[in-house]
Amino acid sequence: MRGRKLIFPLALAAILVLLILSIQGRNIVARQGWGMLSVEIMVIALALCYWGFEQGRVSSREVALIAVLGAVAAVGRVPFAALPNIQPVTFMVIISGFVFGSRAGFMTGSTAALVSNFFLGQGPWTPWQMFAWGLAGVTAGLIRMVFPRTGTAGMTVFCIIWGYLYGWIMNLWFWTAFVQPLNWQSFAATYAASFWFDTFHAAGNAAFYLFFGASFKKILARFRRKLEVNFIESIE
Amino acid sequence: MLDSFFYKEKGLFLQNLHPLAALVYLGTLLSLALLFTNPLYLAGLLCLVFLAVWSVDGLPAWEGYLKMGLTMMVLVMLVNPLMVRAGETIIWYGPRVPVLGRLNISLEAVYYGAAMSVRLLDVISVFCLYNLMVHPDKALNLFSRLAWRSTMVISLATRMFPSMVRELANIREVQQMRGVNFQQGKFGEKVKKHASLINILLLSSLEDSLEIAESMQARAFGSGPRTCYSRSLFRPRDALCLAGSALALGAGIWGLLHGFGVYTYYPRLGYLLQGPGTVLVLAAVLLGLSIPVVLSWGWRHWPYLKSKI
Repeated sequence: MRGRKLIFPLALAAILVLLILSIQGRNIVARQGWGMLSVEIMVIALALCYWGFEQGRVSSREVALIAVLGAVAAVGRVPFAALPNIQPVTFMVIISGFVFGSRAGFMTGSTAALVSNFFLGQGPWTPWQMFAWGLAGVTAGLIRMVFPRTGTAGMTVFCIIWGYLYGWIMNLWFWTAFVQPLNWQSFAATYAASFWFDTFHAAGNAAFYLFFGASFKKILARFRRKLEVNFIESIE
Repeated sequence: MLDSFFYKEKGLFLQNLHPLAALVYLGTLLSLALLFTNPLYLAGLLCLVFLAVWSVDGLPAWEGYLKMGLTMMVLVMLVNPLMVRAGETIIWYGPRVPVLGRLNISLEAVYYGAAMSVRLLDVISVFCLYNLMVHPDKALNLFSRLAWRSTMVISLATRMFPSMVRELANIREVQQMRGVNFQQGKFGEKVKKHASLINILLLSSLEDSLEIAESMQARAFGSGPRTCYSRSLFRPRDALCLAGSALALGAGIWGLLHGFGVYTYYPRLGYLLQGPGTVLVLAAVLLGLSIPVVLSWGWRHWPYLKSKI
């Protein structure tokens, strides 16, 4: 049991050591290049998030519910495939995270990314999508914990922010693996190239939240109430 | 169209490898593509992945991937020469641009952009190969011992995806019968109509999720320690492929530590071949990685070999 508690700090330490070694220069970590290093860090982070989910007690209802949410979010990519970069996944993941908490939010986001790519095609983008959408769910859960009374305006802004953040996380991989030298100019150029895609995404998120945020939240909140089962110990 | 998996069972050699052997092979290909910077090595890997894709009858699918990757490749080839000032051999003196300074295009940056777009194609092709080679359930099965809760969620969602796509089409039809025209209206109206489909889908499938949970409960989900059963066989062919991947990875890493497989782009292009070692390491890497492809060919055309592996 003690070993399990150590995993989280150990993984964080491993990421930190990788980062520090990469700045130092002439060693095996720095020489492999950032293309590989960024993938390694991403895989450690994802493994850590999944490990967190494994640790908790999960009821059959939660498993089924998270799977359904992930699948619905993944299916959401289909009818909107024709519209440029407008898709309800980010919005749905954020709402699931907001209603059911960070852990469910992460699982919804990463499952949606992984599962939809089984059908739309896995690619080098898969782990990054899993991470970006998972993180959107986690932060939405945190928002609820810190500001439980966040209204429509606040959540719309949050959705807009995630429209950009999602694109920025995805750019990170493109930039580290295929652009060299890694400096501010090439960074700015890569991010400028994706600006319009991200803006479309953010605008889509905002529109989804404004039009459907309330109704989606209502549906999910109703099911959250159904999830909470209280056993009355003994009735005599 | 989305009713079916991207993966199609065709009973090919590469498809009936043990999932561990297949994943190690693909992981080796992916890491080597991200580790090597020498254009010769990247091109060699590309040839090999192409052969592997060909041996799973994947060329039409690969074409689709090529189209998807093309925009990213063009972006790589544009961003590098336009933005990078590290090269010394200037081939074009451009105009001054306010924020970025003078747009000088150097030979080195053009060369780097081209090599990196080959790397991008490598990576995309490896994933194309993954889609054609590994059944999602088999890959998930491998992880079910390590992380059964997450695997359970993912495989449930994978199972529900096709039926939900079908249900979405049903809902759409019902809405059309009621007079909703999905083609009509402005952009915002269209988004609204499509999103209402998701709303209905969410409501009905959440109801279903409670039923799934009950049936899981009825099958004793979570009532005790979990057992595990795997149907995948580990055969000589898997050992051979694992050995090939190990050889390629070992040779590649040894080469990288001794300076083969890396290439200096900036400030001036280095030599493509740094002595015979460059060729030897590349040959070892390609030899290791070609084992599954060669076996796949042998499995088709050589009954004796087929009976032995």
